[in-house]
Amino acid sequence: MSLLDSLAAGLNTVASVEAFLALFVGICIGVIGGAIPGLSATMAVALTLPFTFSMAPITGILLLLGVYKGGIFGGSIPAILIKTPGTPASSATILDGHPLAERGEAGRALGMALWASCTADLISNLALILFAGWLASFALSFGPPEFFALILFSLTIIAGVSGDSLLRGALSALLGLLLATVGLDLVYGTNRFTLGNPNLMGGLNFIAVLIGLFAIPEIIAMARNPTAHLGRARSLGGTRVSFADYRKSFRSIVRGSFIGVFLGSIPGIGAAPSAFLSYSEARRRSPDRENFGKGEIEGVAASEAGNNGVAGATLIPLLALGVPGDVITAIIIGAFMVHGLQPGPMMFVLNVDIIYGLFIGLIVSSVFLFVVGSVAIRGFRFIAEVPKRILMPTVLVLCVYGVFAVNNNVFDVGVMFAMGWVGYLMMRARIPVAPFLIAFILGPLLEDNFRQSMLMSGSDPAILLRGPITWFFWALTILTIIGIARSVGRKLAV
Amino acid sequence: MTLRALQIRLGFAALVIAAAMALVAIPNFVSSPSNVRNIVLAPTFWPYTLTGLTALTGALLLFTGWRVDPAILLDEEDAAKPGAWLRLIALAAIMVATMQAMPILGMPLTCMAAFAATAFLFRTRHPIVALICTVAVPLVLYAFFAHVAGVAVPQGDLIRLP
Amino acid sequence: MKTTTLTATLAIGTALTAGAALADYPERAINMIIPYGAGGATDISARTIAEPLGEAVGQPLVMANITGAGGATGSVAVQNANPDGYTMLFARVGSHSVNPAMKATLPYTLDDFRFVTVYEINPFACVVNANSDIQSMDDLMAKAEGEGISFSSSGVGSGPHLGATFVLDAFGLENAASAATHIPQQGGGAAATAVLNNTAEFLCTNSSALAGFVANGQMRALLVTTPDPVEGFDAPTATSLGHPELEQLVGWTGIAGPAGLPDDVAAKWGEWMEQAAGDADFVKQMESRGSIIDVMSPEDANEFIQGQYDTFRALVDDLGMRIEG
Repeated sequence: MSLLDSLAAGLNTVASVEAFLALFVGICIGVIGGAIPGLSATMAVALTLPFTFSMAPITGILLLLGVYKGGIFGGSIPAILIKTPGTPASSATILDGHPLAERGEAGRALGMALWASCTADLISNLALILFAGWLASFALSFGPPEFFALILFSLTIIAGVSGDSLLRGALSALLGLLLATVGLDLVYGTNRFTLGNPNLMGGLNFIAVLIGLFAIPEIIAMARNPTAHLGRARSLGGTRVSFADYRKSFRSIVRGSFIGVFLGSIPGIGAAPSAFLSYSEARRRSPDRENFGKGEIEGVAASEAGNNGVAGATLIPLLALGVPGDVITAIIIGAFMVHGLQPGPMMFVLNVDIIYGLFIGLIVSSVFLFVVGSVAIRGFRFIAEVPKRILMPTVLVLCVYGVFAVNNNVFDVGVMFAMGWVGYLMMRARIPVAPFLIAFILGPLLEDNFRQSMLMSGSDPAILLRGPITWFFWALTILTIIGIARSVGRKLAV
Repeated sequence: MTLRALQIRLGFAALVIAAAMALVAIPNFVSSPSNVRNIVLAPTFWPYTLTGLTALTGALLLFTGWRVDPAILLDEEDAAKPGAWLRLIALAAIMVATMQAMPILGMPLTCMAAFAATAFLFRTRHPIVALICTVAVPLVLYAFFAHVAGVAVPQGDLIRLP
Repeated sequence: MKTTTLTATLAIGTALTAGAALADYPERAINMIIPYGAGGATDISARTIAEPLGEAVGQPLVMANITGAGGATGSVAVQNANPDGYTMLFARVGSHSVNPAMKATLPYTLDDFRFVTVYEINPFACVVNANSDIQSMDDLMAKAEGEGISFSSSGVGSGPHLGATFVLDAFGLENAASAATHIPQQGGGAAATAVLNNTAEFLCTNSSALAGFVANGQMRALLVTTPDPVEGFDAPTATSLGHPELEQLVGWTGIAGPAGLPDDVAAKWGEWMEQAAGDADFVKQMESRGSIIDVMSPEDANEFIQGQYDTFRALVDDLGMRIEG
């Protein structure tokens, strides 16, 4: 079948009002779901899944993809407005988005988040359509040793988000790594720091830790000084993103999109590390790097490009290999299976109409996202106007509900409160939170892949350098560390 | 506070954490089976590595802290308002009470109480709005999570919302 | 304020009557705990039966995923719940026969639960990468006894971990627990990926998790554990290879309550399941995923699970695989 035939078949499949309506509704659900902390894109997709059972396959899958894409963008709304990431992937957006909102430029930050998201989404979808087969076979050459090298490199992001002291950033990261060891041991299944509590066996819930670290310290700080915010601009004002902003950040957006595409096509990493990596790259290359973390619009653009770039690309391993890249695509793969579709190489032969239908739907989704996102920004602007001493208790209650909903477990609410105090102490001691979070995400991956490599080779460390991919990332890691060391040296010399 | 004091305090804190991990937490709370074939595969290997790195970071913080110019002051954020400690303790108490009350009162009622307590603690300028929100916010959230999202929101033994 | 008091009074009233008699069970929504993540085999199975089951019950079923520790976190939530029949668990082979057999540290035992049914049986299959030079179980065993072999699983003490060891042991590998290299992964999807990218050489798990890869020509099946061949898997049955004992190695999904569940509640569940599993749509959907629908009465379910547990426990003790401490 030629490409044109495939396209025609795809158009035939997708060309129904229901399919596009489902996509649109999906994006709306996603944006709202993503904007509610704790509900998150993952939950929104999981909740929508049962409704797709009775739909035509393409309609159902487009509905879920809409929720996914909407959710990843939606997460940036509370991240910017109330410093609570709606979805883990939007935690990097907080770093500059929230300071912008504090300065009364929430409208600008939200607008940039939307523009960057849509651009990255489009790039990611195009990458999926054009390079799916190639990227998928590349992803399969990632075994544990390659992962280990990649994650080791990703940990160098920490230097980029440490703020003014690298040592304090390192301390923060180490605490995150230590906290991530709670739970069952991968290789032996024995308990680590579970203190006999079954709730700790699964490790600390990621979203509870995340919300605890970002949102709760704000509430605690308000108890310390309830009137600190008075007299500061906080309204959304008339600020809007300008084309000059977009042009200035365009390079970072494109770079972030490609980082997202790359990390998204490798199963098992997900959107949050991608957003942080994109952010730290943008900071490293920016002439205004001092402004990052204090409300730099390019930081918002880079983070949002990084996480939305993942959204289309995670479909690459899903469609081409039948392998889910993260939790969300694991749920989406369920929808395929319910309809008797088996993602994988054969799907490109047997169900080519569905594949091309999906492609067409995905391209349209970037446009829909822009429309829905613009409306959502206007709809949520009132949050910036709520008096802060009413807003904070509301955030508290919202976090309680949201964190509970993630895993239906009251214990997680306790974890959130406890992490809130940890976050508050870190804030007072000027320890940056972002390294803690990155380490908490990447730590288990680093350890697991290290130990899997050791199991594969019978504890021969040579396996960690087994091929060109590992050499590449080791070289990159070493170069980055040298770069960091030199900049530290310069600082000391001054 | 000076930068020097901060660095030195953090350095000490890191060393204390590392010591506590190495001497108390890891030996007692990480069980390592006897049939571990290789030390790098042991469940304790990774925690010990991290502990070592934490100690190193602590030492470096102390070292650099020592060398920092003692005159450098940290830029001061918002000063604490009188009664800050009392309010912080009260907020901690609210959180503990929330956790304790949740199984008895259920999530919606507990959240109403928590909302009222925190709004009162922050001495909001809009008491009427706060009162309305106290009832409305947890109820609306309950309706959304329980009936739209289909979450099994914990209900109390006393009161069971529809 | 007035309306809240009114609602409160009304609600207290209903709550009191609720405690009075179980005869009216169920008179409100029932929480159904799924101890695994959304989109997984248990989750899909549970959500598929929820529809006909909800009709049979006549009250809403609220599905709640509580994930963590290989199904232990969700199971503990039900173990500690009120045995009033309003909190039930979707139990699975991993959480309720492999885990209890392998982990001494598990915070629950089979006695903490009362099973009201097992409704789905899912055969195990063993697969290798399609590019592998292993063509049959004979090749696999030759390699295992020669240079050694590795297998992936969804974690220590999971079904695939025990499954692969069980198969190797049955086919005569000496000291199967330590002779083969176990490379655990985080979850079932990652376990399959490990075979695809040659991190591990083979994997034994539920056929439903593998059907897609086999159909797509990415993996080759070597063995299925049902008495009859499985559609879509071009592989011999364990029995035809002379190992009928492997028929014990099947996945299942069932429903359980806390140990103190009253008899009449358990009996009601038995009736509902009969009714729900008769639903043609449900059977069709489940069978298209390679499952066998076989609704067991509460007594049969308990016996089946205990039998599987005993087999696994004997194997685990025999090979010294039990996880202590």
